[in-house]
Amino acid sequence: MFKKLSGTPLSALVLVLLSGVVALVTGKSFSAMHTLDPLVPAPGFERHMLSEWFAPLRDTPGDTPVYIQRGSEPGGTVLVMGGTHPNEPAGTLTAVVLLERARINRGRLIVIPFANRSAFTCNDPQEGAPQSFSLRCADGSFRVFRYGSRATNPVDQWPDPDVYLHPQSGQQLSGRERSNLNRAHPGTPQGPLTLQVAYALRRLLQEEKVDLAFDLHEASPEYPVVNAVVAHERAQELAAMVAMELEGLSIAIRIEPSPKNLRGLTHREWGDATETLAVLMETANPSQGRLRGRTDEALVLSGRDKCYARAMELGRLFINYSGDQTLDLRVARHTAAVKSFLENLGLLYPEKTVVMEEVPGFEELLARGVGAFLSPLSRDHGSR
Amino acid sequence: MMMMTIYRGIALLVLLLVGHAMFRERDFWKQVTGVLVLVPLILRILLVK
Repeated sequence: MFKKLSGTPLSALVLVLLSGVVALVTGKSFSAMHTLDPLVPAPGFERHMLSEWFAPLRDTPGDTPVYIQRGSEPGGTVLVMGGTHPNEPAGTLTAVVLLERARINRGRLIVIPFANRSAFTCNDPQEGAPQSFSLRCADGSFRVFRYGSRATNPVDQWPDPDVYLHPQSGQQLSGRERSNLNRAHPGTPQGPLTLQVAYALRRLLQEEKVDLAFDLHEASPEYPVVNAVVAHERAQELAAMVAMELEGLSIAIRIEPSPKNLRGLTHREWGDATETLAVLMETANPSQGRLRGRTDEALVLSGRDKCYARAMELGRLFINYSGDQTLDLRVARHTAAVKSFLENLGLLYPEKTVVMEEVPGFEELLARGVGAFLSPLSRDHGSR
Repeated sequence: MMMMTIYRGIALLVLLLVGHAMFRERDFWKQVTGVLVLVPLILRILLVK
């Protein structure tokens, strides 16, 4: 196929130098993955870093921004966390929408958009996932967000053991789960990075006396716990009120009790280790499902997949899949649920009331799209 | 940390062996094949990817 050419020490030298140039160019591209997506927090948010609650995280790939807004009146404290799994973009984007829109009149709102920061710097092997996706803002400009991995970057935490023993319970899981932040809670001060991030989050919950904490996720449409709220037993009364309210708005949602024997997850460990009311929420994301076909940015944004349409016909899904499952819909579900939780928190526990305004509602998000509620980037926006 | 050092050491050793083989190789296209192996090894040693 190729003409026979003789190699010489000179040609070898030239090729070795060429490999250095290629490594430099591609290395620069790979290194750019470690830059956080730029954000435009709404007025009133203060930027902190997670390492302020656990100093050993400082300057590590696990340190991540934490934004806090205090209302003018005292009240409760609510944490909204996205990005536990960066291949579940509705969780991250809901946190971003709250960060860029919310005005807190009473109580405090804490937002962590990139919980497992390290996992935003890589993709899952063999999944064919896109590197990023973009959303159109109201002024016609685009905001680009990274589509990451379920697990901490192996560059930051390696190797995985054959079996992962959850430190507090001794529960045995696949070794890969040691890199999964949602199997690491409540974390340990020593050990792998993922466990330390979980420990820092526990410290934040305890020291800031968080009353209600959300961990926002997505799951495959064929997974039974989807379009669901998973609530710790202390949060179930509140979750029931929210579910009734959402069902009244024709937003189907199911309540799942947090299993006592499934350890390392936020809804179990945050509820057990701290005073917070711990809630995890799931929407249906076809771009991470096992039944999906072509995996690209369009699938992330639209959730449109003929394989899932067929699975729906065969009755294999746990959602009402009518041909698509847009990112707008998934973010709208999460946002509507968070708003409902805040309203009902004040009804159940008046002293813990948090009053949040300016956040779009379910219908608004569906009608105008998520991008319309993101602030356009000005030229001086780096990662804030 | 020790595992990481051993891993980078192995990657560096393989990099040197591939480089050495490239200089002894008399077929240009096999030298090109060597370059394809060198690039990811360099990135792994630098812990970029």
